Amino acid sequence: MRKVGLLIAITCLLFSMAVGGHAEGLDSSDSSEYLIKAGFIYNFAKLVEWPSTAFAQQDSPIVIGILGDDPFGGTLDRIVADKKINGRGLVVKRLRWGKDVKDIRECNILFVSSSEKEHIDNVVDAMKWLPVLTIGDAPGFAKRGGIVNFTLEDNKVRFEVNVEAAKRADLTISSRLLTLARIVQQVPADGKALQ
Amino acid sequence: MNLKNLSIKRKLMLITMLTSGLAVVLSSAGFLSYDLISFRHSLSQDLMTQAEIIGYNSAAAMAFKDESAATVTLSALQAKEDIVSAVLYTRDGKVFAQYIHANTRRPRLPAPPPERGYRFEGSYLEVFRDVSLNGELVGTLFLQSDMRQWNSRARRYASIFLSFVLISGFIALLVSSKLQKLISGPILHLEDTMRMVSATKSYEVRATKFYGDEIGRLIDGFNTMLSEIQQRDTAFHHANDELKTRTLQLEGEIVHRKEMQKELLTAKHAAEDANRAKSAFLANMSHELRTPLNAIIGYSEMLEEETHELGKVENIKDLQKIQGAGKHLLSLINDVLDLSKIEAGRMGLHLETFDISQMIDEMVTTLHPAISKNSNTIQVHLAEDLGAMRADITKVRQILFNLLSNASKFTDHGTISVDVDRSTEEDQDWIRFRVADTGIGITAKQKGNLFQEFTQADVSIARKYGGTGLGLAISYRYVRLMNGRISVESEPGQGSVFTVHLPAKVTTEVTEAAQTEKINDLPAATIETKSNMDTILVIDDDSVVRDLMSRFLTRLGFHVVAAASGEEGLRLAKQVNPLVVTLDVIMPDCDGWAVLNKLKADPELSEIPVIMVTVVDNETMGFELGASNYLIKPVDRDRLAVLIEKHRAARSSTLTNAKASPASRHNVSPKKGSGGSKGTITANGKVTVPLT
Repeated sequence: MRKVGLLIAITCLLFSMAVGGHAEGLDSSDSSEYLIKAGFIYNFAKLVEWPSTAFAQQDSPIVIGILGDDPFGGTLDRIVADKKINGRGLVVKRLRWGKDVKDIRECNILFVSSSEKEHIDNVVDAMKWLPVLTIGDAPGFAKRGGIVNFTLEDNKVRFEVNVEAAKRADLTISSRLLTLARIVQQVPADGKALQ
Repeated sequence: MNLKNLSIKRKLMLITMLTSGLAVVLSSAGFLSYDLISFRHSLSQDLMTQAEIIGYNSAAAMAFKDESAATVTLSALQAKEDIVSAVLYTRDGKVFAQYIHANTRRPRLPAPPPERGYRFEGSYLEVFRDVSLNGELVGTLFLQSDMRQWNSRARRYASIFLSFVLISGFIALLVSSKLQKLISGPILHLEDTMRMVSATKSYEVRATKFYGDEIGRLIDGFNTMLSEIQQRDTAFHHANDELKTRTLQLEGEIVHRKEMQKELLTAKHAAEDANRAKSAFLANMSHELRTPLNAIIGYSEMLEEETHELGKVENIKDLQKIQGAGKHLLSLINDVLDLSKIEAGRMGLHLETFDISQMIDEMVTTLHPAISKNSNTIQVHLAEDLGAMRADITKVRQILFNLLSNASKFTDHGTISVDVDRSTEEDQDWIRFRVADTGIGITAKQKGNLFQEFTQADVSIARKYGGTGLGLAISYRYVRLMNGRISVESEPGQGSVFTVHLPAKVTTEVTEAAQTEKINDLPAATIETKSNMDTILVIDDDSVVRDLMSRFLTRLGFHVVAAASGEEGLRLAKQVNPLVVTLDVIMPDCDGWAVLNKLKADPELSEIPVIMVTVVDNETMGFELGASNYLIKPVDRDRLAVLIEKHRAARSSTLTNAKASPASRHNVSPKKGSGGSKGTITANGKVTVPLT
């Protein structure tokens, strides 16, 4: 327990080092915006439950995949480093669409960078039935079938949640998260109802 | 009002009320405070739970930095009236979201304290609680409650408590006012009874015993005490009544006694009057008796002498019998008078210093005829160191005279011895006179009242031996008068021994010696040379006395000048300047006292010795006025002769350096036999006494 306490303290220290002072100054700095987003991603991991099938073992790490360009720099790595959620560690992987197909499918959380705007529908479609929490960084991602999407409201980082997509992916999203989110309905890009 | 003086009733009620009130207050206060404390604890637990819920609900909002969501969450506290404010702090202590109840005037928002948990801050209950998301700290929640539930509960409790205390107090008052009678009732009753007893003083009252407790026993004790008092009261009253009766009796007796006392006093006065009358009668009688006796004795003596000279021897015996009877009668009268004087306490002492052996010689000489009458012989033994003694010589002489005449009276053909010696006892010189005889003696029975008056050893004795029976009584009294003592040893038929102890120096309160000293201490310088050594002035209104004195003194060789009254006496005294004046007291016009006064007041005559010759028995008066000697009529002529001779000797020795011839002394020596003495007086006055 002492070790845990020490660990938490160090984590807090690191976190504060990473986040401190910049948390509210999101407006100008990309890095502070993504610092927050990185923290949000970590927090999502806490408030989402995966089906047991999503993990090979009891203590298999939660794998966070960054699809496309990494806007976080090393921030996300630093945040999740040494963290554990429900006994699982966290691993960050950088992935490329079309290249790391298998890794993409085996992710638990897939951050779809804004650099992958063109592939959004494909990615969403590909991940549709997989227990992967898809997080978008572009407007309309959730409406287009993604589960979570970052938005900016009044210069603050907020997020949208597509509950249907989450259900489809067999993910349980905590109500506590949902109360904070803007719930969106899926709107097909081509205007057709998603079936 | 002093609490201690409250009545028992009030005290009991007060005690009950105080005790029960205290019990109620303490127990309810304990219960209530326990309840309030536990309620406060549960309140804090409630608030903690509240904080947990709020924290849980706002954890995500904090994690996602959604202030509005957090504020909404906090706003849910509006339903909780008691929560006045709630604040969410970020991990670095900044306020993230806050809620303030609409009615709260001035919220107090503290910086998050380091420790978590609840605390009571003033009238607020405050809770700090970590907010964490999946075990990770995201911030701190602060909740502040004004504990209005607690306050309203406390208020409610207070009112309940108050009414409870009031109601229970009232009930306790009712109950105690009923129950206290158990204790106070008997006590009050006892008090009433006591008051009644002390007010009415009736001890028949009894207190009623209610119960068998201590008070019951107290009442028992009180009743017992009352019975005791009642008994004593009755006894006391009884005794008092008795006392009253006796007092009345005593008073009656006292009255009776007083009456008796009065009667006795009257009787005593009467007796005293009678006694005075008797004394006066005796004095008168003695005077009346002595005057004729004077004549009888005097003339019979003269006749005897003359008859002797004439040679008519056959008549002498008869004359001597007349003379003896007269003298006996005289001694009888004298004894009676002496005794009555002693009895009356009027007998004084006339102290003078005299030579004892000389006195004894004179005594023996005088008494020789009486001693030799029964063929007795006398032996005189005088100690060598006798010297002089100071006493009333007349009385000493009379004592010895009585003893010796008794001894010779009751002894026949025996020996009478006189022993005189001096001894020292108790720092005082004593002279012892011892008179022993070989006579009939005295029985033990007779000894008892030997010294009583008018008692002789036997009635028959008076007949056989004669005598007044007063001799020893008078002797005894004289001895006592001079602080001496007299005793007797005797066996019937073996003779008697009378012993008299007298102080060598008798003292009395009244000193009368000064004047008597004159006889021996007459100063030479004042003696008048022209004094007629042979002239004697006789002052007496009685011609018989004048005649007898003249004849007697002339016979002794003196020239006698007689005066029939005081005035004449004084005149003659100046004319003849006599050797001695003999002075009677009772005389018409100018009595003897007046004459004596005048004689002593006159410087020319004051040195002349005055010999009182009277029937008035008042030696003291005579000596006080300056008389040299005091003789009671009928005059003992021997004694008179001795006195005159003494005065003459004193005068002549100081005047003429003892030129007086010794023969002249013998010429006047009054050695005369009396009452059948065997001694004879020669013509020139010489006496021959056959001393055996």
